[in-house]
Amino acid sequence: MNKDQKIQLFSKLAAGSAAVGIFIALLLLLNYLQARRADPLESAAMEALLERLEEEPNNEELKTEIRNLDLLARKAFFNNQWQINTGALLLLISAIVFGFSLNMVNSLKSKIEAPEEEDGNEFLAGKLSQRGILIAGAALALLALGASFFTRDHLQSFEGEGSESPAMPAEGIEVIDVAAAHAGSPPAATDTLSGAVEETAPADTATAASRLPEEEATRPAISYPGAAGVFQQHGSFRGPFGNGVSIHKNIPTEWDGAAGQNILWKARLPGTGNNSPVIWGDRLFLAAASKGKQLVLCYNRHSGALLWQKAVEGVPGSPPAPPKTTDDTGLSAPTLTTDGIRVYAIFATGDVAALNLSGEVIWARNLGLPDNHYGHSSSLQAWQGKLFVQYDTNKGGKVMALDCASGATIWEKARKVKISWASPILAPVGEKYQLILSADPLVAAYDTETGKELWSVDCMMGEVGPSPAFSNGLVFAANEYARLVAIRPEGKGTIVWEQNEYLPEVASPVAADGLLYIATSYGVLACYDTGNGEKYWEHECDAGFYASPLIADGKVYALDREGAMHILRHDKEKQLVNEPALGEKTVATPAFANGRVYLRGETHLYCIGR
Amino acid sequence: MQKRVSAYLALLLSFTGGAGYAQQRFPHPEFESGYVQPEPELPDPRAAPLEYLDVLVLILVLLLASWFIYRKRSRKGILWLGVFSLAYFGFYRLGCICAIGAIQNVSLALFNPGYAIPFTALAFFLIPLVFTLFHGRTFCAAACPLGVVQDLLVARPVSLSPGVSKALGLIPYLYLGLAVLYAATGTEFIICRYDPYVGLFRLDASFLMIVLGVGFLLLGLFVARPYCRFLCPYGVLLGWMSGFSKRHLSITPAECIDCKLCAGSCPFDVIEKPTNGQAAEEKESNVRRFLVYALLLPVFLIGGGFLGGKAHLLLSGAHPDVRLAEVLASRPEVKNDPDNIDVQTFLASGETMEALAGKAREARQKFYYGSIALGAFLGLAVGLMLLRQVIFRERTDYEPNKSRCFSCGRCMDYCPVGKELKQA
Repeated sequence: MNKDQKIQLFSKLAAGSAAVGIFIALLLLLNYLQARRADPLESAAMEALLERLEEEPNNEELKTEIRNLDLLARKAFFNNQWQINTGALLLLISAIVFGFSLNMVNSLKSKIEAPEEEDGNEFLAGKLSQRGILIAGAALALLALGASFFTRDHLQSFEGEGSESPAMPAEGIEVIDVAAAHAGSPPAATDTLSGAVEETAPADTATAASRLPEEEATRPAISYPGAAGVFQQHGSFRGPFGNGVSIHKNIPTEWDGAAGQNILWKARLPGTGNNSPVIWGDRLFLAAASKGKQLVLCYNRHSGALLWQKAVEGVPGSPPAPPKTTDDTGLSAPTLTTDGIRVYAIFATGDVAALNLSGEVIWARNLGLPDNHYGHSSSLQAWQGKLFVQYDTNKGGKVMALDCASGATIWEKARKVKISWASPILAPVGEKYQLILSADPLVAAYDTETGKELWSVDCMMGEVGPSPAFSNGLVFAANEYARLVAIRPEGKGTIVWEQNEYLPEVASPVAADGLLYIATSYGVLACYDTGNGEKYWEHECDAGFYASPLIADGKVYALDREGAMHILRHDKEKQLVNEPALGEKTVATPAFANGRVYLRGETHLYCIGR
Repeated sequence: MQKRVSAYLALLLSFTGGAGYAQQRFPHPEFESGYVQPEPELPDPRAAPLEYLDVLVLILVLLLASWFIYRKRSRKGILWLGVFSLAYFGFYRLGCICAIGAIQNVSLALFNPGYAIPFTALAFFLIPLVFTLFHGRTFCAAACPLGVVQDLLVARPVSLSPGVSKALGLIPYLYLGLAVLYAATGTEFIICRYDPYVGLFRLDASFLMIVLGVGFLLLGLFVARPYCRFLCPYGVLLGWMSGFSKRHLSITPAECIDCKLCAGSCPFDVIEKPTNGQAAEEKESNVRRFLVYALLLPVFLIGGGFLGGKAHLLLSGAHPDVRLAEVLASRPEVKNDPDNIDVQTFLASGETMEALAGKAREARQKFYYGSIALGAFLGLAVGLMLLRQVIFRERTDYEPNKSRCFSCGRCMDYCPVGKELKQA
């Protein structure tokens, strides 16, 4: 091949590679514009399907449709990525071939050039250089000046707004605009059901959380129910004081949810949640939450009529998007609590709210998003005007007492514990009630008045879900992969005995009359002697337990995850009474009232009685 | 020569103590479903011995480059050595570690005592500078993959006018200052983020970076080494070192016969012609200008600092805390935008706006002082560049400008004296 032929070859190669490069660049550009216009991962169809799923969580066909669409979207995304990467590689190769070919053509055409004439003027070049430098320097100066004129310091204005804001309450209380929250929705009609003390919500934008001390002083004093009143109700998770023991009688032992036997009423729930029902008087309260919606529900427990439902929304500081939670915990795992004056709710967003019994928000605040990889699940306890919140998160643990009337923090104590999902209980020790909490590594008690730690025992480990129990002067705490301990809540707290044969993962222990029950997530209900930890009996079930067992009417009621209630005599001898089935899966702990059992299934609320 | 090699080795050994390095801490999990782990966008951390190997390769390349230029006077040797560096540091090491990016590691280490600079980053920053101080910019000629990829694609270089060339020559100073400022304040490593060639080495980049990379390659066909001449921040440091270099590439190995054949050989316009007495003719005018610029130097310095301070609001906008706080303060409705990941992450963290604003103000305060320093640096650079334009040195031969010459060796091939000596 002679020189001319080589020049011709490389010229053609250069032209060809340039054409290919331009073609690929155009394709890449089109691909880029198309991907920007219709991102497969942000499809409106998927959004619509997901919204439908929120409303129909058990629609399997819909789930399959979503999965198929998701698979298609992912394929489209990776196909797009492959096209970009392959296009980029081809573009690079064509650019290199073009450069190389052009280089070769240039090199083949090159010849010894005649020496240039002496036309260079260094001084003139220097002058031009100076002018260029001065112009570039001036351009930079103008850019800097322009930046100072056209850039606005929004932080400065934020500072100004912050200093002028009169509404920022002390102690981090977040104010909710109640007027805005109620706009367009007239107050629900107050029903005349018994057992309720009515309190009116603030009528204007001033909320209870932002009331002045003078205003607080002029409010009528509210008389909170004493222990006798609490024991008459089922006002919190696992009943009075969270101890799992009910005084109610004539609790049914026979029903069949599927056949409707002894089902007095059954109501479809308007939302999802793993919290348990609580009862005060004739009202039954529940919570539900989904993406962007947090509901408190109130039912007439006799008729099953939904008296009201109230959205807890617009809480300042609340994250606009809910945190990620697992399905078995969800956004509304903590059970409500009520003192008969208000009902208190907490959600996985950290929003905590008090509503009066007519469903009006009295106050609401955000406690800071709990860093919890499953979802916050610790339920509330209310006692003598204080709302107790166990807030053990991945970013540290604390326990708080909030003013039931205003939401203000009365006391707050940091806890040297890891994250937990257990709930607080109240136990009468001496003349006072102790607030008892279980977490890794401590089971600890706090003075309800001051928050002072009264005692603590280093005995737990792992992801603690079961709450403690109290009976006859002993505190019981247990957790899977840790142990079951009995603690005497005096002095610094001493372990009386410990066991590790059957340990619960989620369900809390319950004890009364010298007998302690443990329900495991693998389906064993075991009975122990509270005095020495000796095992009396065990009962194997087909499904495991997430709902906590309760003692009522001389029996122990343990509801498994498939909805079968295992009812055994509350006795050291194992006597199975019955195992009625609900016909619906459940993880919520039952609530009792005289002659009634209330069960929350996945999608329905049941009232069982004769 | 032996003494010099020993000095380099001693310098290298002195780096090996106490320097930290990163390694893959946990192996990738294996999936039974056949799921294939995607390739990470950034190269995996290297094991320590391989990091030392990178440093060793860099030193060997620099030694060989010096040998090719001073002993062999071989453009071909430099070319193939460059191809090796492009393959090794570019396509094999995926453009990381890199001396240009190491500026940021050094800056961060200087201003953040909590940051332990990796040994390789420090070595890659210092070794080319030390070599340049002795031998000129041989690093640019044969060791820098960014330089080599541009050098290989020079096809029909056009000569830029001195004014345009000098005006664009201010950009590397700006880029260097910004890179140091952003690294020192912990904002970002902008050199790495906006490296137009790294996407080509990794065959993976965002669409816009691919366009930028290919654009630079195509531009490089006609404007030789555009990144090296008008952007490279490390080139500023290398230029300073090279200006003082003990030895430098010479076009002719013996006495110049003034044949002028080499005059148009340099695609980078760095060959300076004999002055032929012009310096003496313009002496009076030059002295006057020199005095004016020298007197103006403090004005440039202070004025630059003042203007830099004025620009601190704009510059600090790149800091993640400042950017987030500004967005939340100016557009609170963005809290309801579920697609704004930064805002949603902040809200999910539970951190208060006051705390974020506090951090943003702290960062902005750092930017205020940093921007003043940046402005003063640029003012000083403008002043010194102007001064250099009025300092004329009498030249009798064709010589490469020591600061700007990349030591590529093209001009050597044009010298008939060198060819004659070789044949002899």
